[in-house]
Amino acid sequence: MSSQKGFTLWFTGLSGSGKTTIARAVEEILLERGLNVEVLDGDVIRTNLCKGLGFSKEDRDENIKRIGFVCNLLSRNGVVAIASAISPYRDIRDYNREMIGRFVEVYAKCPLDVLEERDVKGLYKKARAGEIKGFTGVDDPYEEPLKPEVLVETDKEDLEESVQKVIRTLELMGYIPGADASEEYSAEEEEKIKQRLRDLGYI
Amino acid sequence: MSRLAMIGLDCAAPQLVFERWRDDLPNLRSLMDDGVYGKLRSTIPPITVPAWTSMMTSQDPGQLGFYGFRNRASYDYKDLFFANAKYVKAKTVWNYLSRQRLNSLVFGVPQTYPPKPLKGVMVSSFLTPSKEVQWTHPREAASEVDQAAGGDYMIDVKDFRTDDKDWLLDQIHEMTRRRFSAFRHFVRKKEFDFMAMVEMGIDRMHHGFWRYFDEEHRLYEPGHKYEHAIRDYYKLVDEEIGLLLDDLPRDTSVMVTSDHGARRMDGAICVNEWLIREGLLTLKETPTEPTRLTPDMVNWSKTKAWGEGGYYSRIFLNVEGREPKGKIPSADYDAFRDELKAKIEAIPDEKGNPIGTTVYKPEDIYRVVNGIAPDLIVFFGDLAWRSAGSVGTGAVHIFENDTGPDDANHDWDGIFIWDHPAKVDVKKKDPYSIYDIAPTILRFFNVDIPEHMIGEPLF
Repeated sequence: MSSQKGFTLWFTGLSGSGKTTIARAVEEILLERGLNVEVLDGDVIRTNLCKGLGFSKEDRDENIKRIGFVCNLLSRNGVVAIASAISPYRDIRDYNREMIGRFVEVYAKCPLDVLEERDVKGLYKKARAGEIKGFTGVDDPYEEPLKPEVLVETDKEDLEESVQKVIRTLELMGYIPGADASEEYSAEEEEKIKQRLRDLGYI
Repeated sequence: MSRLAMIGLDCAAPQLVFERWRDDLPNLRSLMDDGVYGKLRSTIPPITVPAWTSMMTSQDPGQLGFYGFRNRASYDYKDLFFANAKYVKAKTVWNYLSRQRLNSLVFGVPQTYPPKPLKGVMVSSFLTPSKEVQWTHPREAASEVDQAAGGDYMIDVKDFRTDDKDWLLDQIHEMTRRRFSAFRHFVRKKEFDFMAMVEMGIDRMHHGFWRYFDEEHRLYEPGHKYEHAIRDYYKLVDEEIGLLLDDLPRDTSVMVTSDHGARRMDGAICVNEWLIREGLLTLKETPTEPTRLTPDMVNWSKTKAWGEGGYYSRIFLNVEGREPKGKIPSADYDAFRDELKAKIEAIPDEKGNPIGTTVYKPEDIYRVVNGIAPDLIVFFGDLAWRSAGSVGTGAVHIFENDTGPDDANHDWDGIFIWDHPAKVDVKKKDPYSIYDIAPTILRFFNVDIPEHMIGEPLF
């Protein structure tokens, strides 16, 4: 009975910038609205779909292409595919955008010094200590999106604000129905409701 | 994971289901015998809105921010809103189930118009203005519902406060048959984890026909042709439930609930007539016949309080700095309210006998008071009397409802029956709480129970 059209919501940003946290919160809202949703988390994908791939430019590109490939399959079958991956290189993100078509890029932006201070997983510390080589933002590049559909600045916004930015954009782009759409009814309808209440003796 | 079917019977009364007609209702009796059952304590107030929403959210009316169908949107005298789904901000059980990718079938649960998206199918409730608007989610489900209902699904009867009882009886029976028929159609698809329907017919029957079977009702006439109308209707509902049980997958857990109970109505207290006599409400002109009180009739500069009619009364105070023409100094608010509460509790019946009225302050009964609550919440005769808001009745006591024929008032306790195939160890409570239903449903589906839910899971 569902006539849902799929699309891909692609979260990009440095490690620790809040991509997955926002993606999971968005997922919950979309599920609540009855949409079919799948989250492809970069960390999880690396241990399954992309097991064995390293962190060279080629392997990183291959990782993102594979995620994009799955997103495309899901999207064209009516699913909202949410990818959450650092995806540091612009050309591969754009490759996915081209392939998928219905593609919404969300850039989770956060200054490096803030991320290093947060360093929830202790990865930045290890990268600075040289224990991790080729770490994005430290000794490997991150190419910011030039025109992301949504920019969330996670050092300035709280989670709710960021999530609402994403949801509102999806509504405005017509990818998901507006939350308020069902709440809008005409004055004529309002009068009919009142008449129902009068008929029922409630007013 | 097994499924859960919830059959909601608006207004079903424990004294009728559990006692008086238990042997006439083989399917409900079987569920009672095999499972657990007991009274289900409703919300304060025990009325359809907010009770069903409280049941589905485990939030009290204060938390929900609405106290009945009509609610004040501001402290202006005229600014009211009608509490439909637009105003339900709390999450319902099906919101949480959708998050867990579980499919819900939601049929006729009050306050679901306009229908909001969910994972599954929703048919909106009796306050849907007409079927010309979107009344299902998804929209395309509407034609399937109609078809499964035999061509025309009835959202509600048009009017149940009528003297045309033959018509009313026919309409209620037809509505119920069609609703169950449509619901069963969707149930047979076996697509849904949680299936909930609310049938409004019992409520309509109680209000329309209570006088004919209750020997203690003031208007009871032995041997009247409608003497068995309510019993026969309960039997019809039981038969329909039997057909539904046959269609449910074997591992389905079945819960039957009602949002409140019912009792005979002894009369009505004309609350505004009483306030006029007490010098607390002044009209510009006194009507010579019963007239619904509207704000333009009131001389606000000489008025301290006014009330609303209904199964209970909401009393509003005209407070300086709050209402546009406030009369009670805000410093005197507490003392005035206490004094008025005591006076209302002392209103006797027409013969001067005490009737046991209970009056509540919202902050004493709700965890928080969102929106604009009445200043006092009044249950005349502890629900044996209703509240008539009309003025010009010429009396404080009347014996017919001022909004049309009505024999019954709501009562505090509805019903709870739960037959779980796995025979879990259900907590015993007397009564159970309406707030326990949502957490119990979530526990059934192994969904984390949000901390803000105020009830507790029953197993």
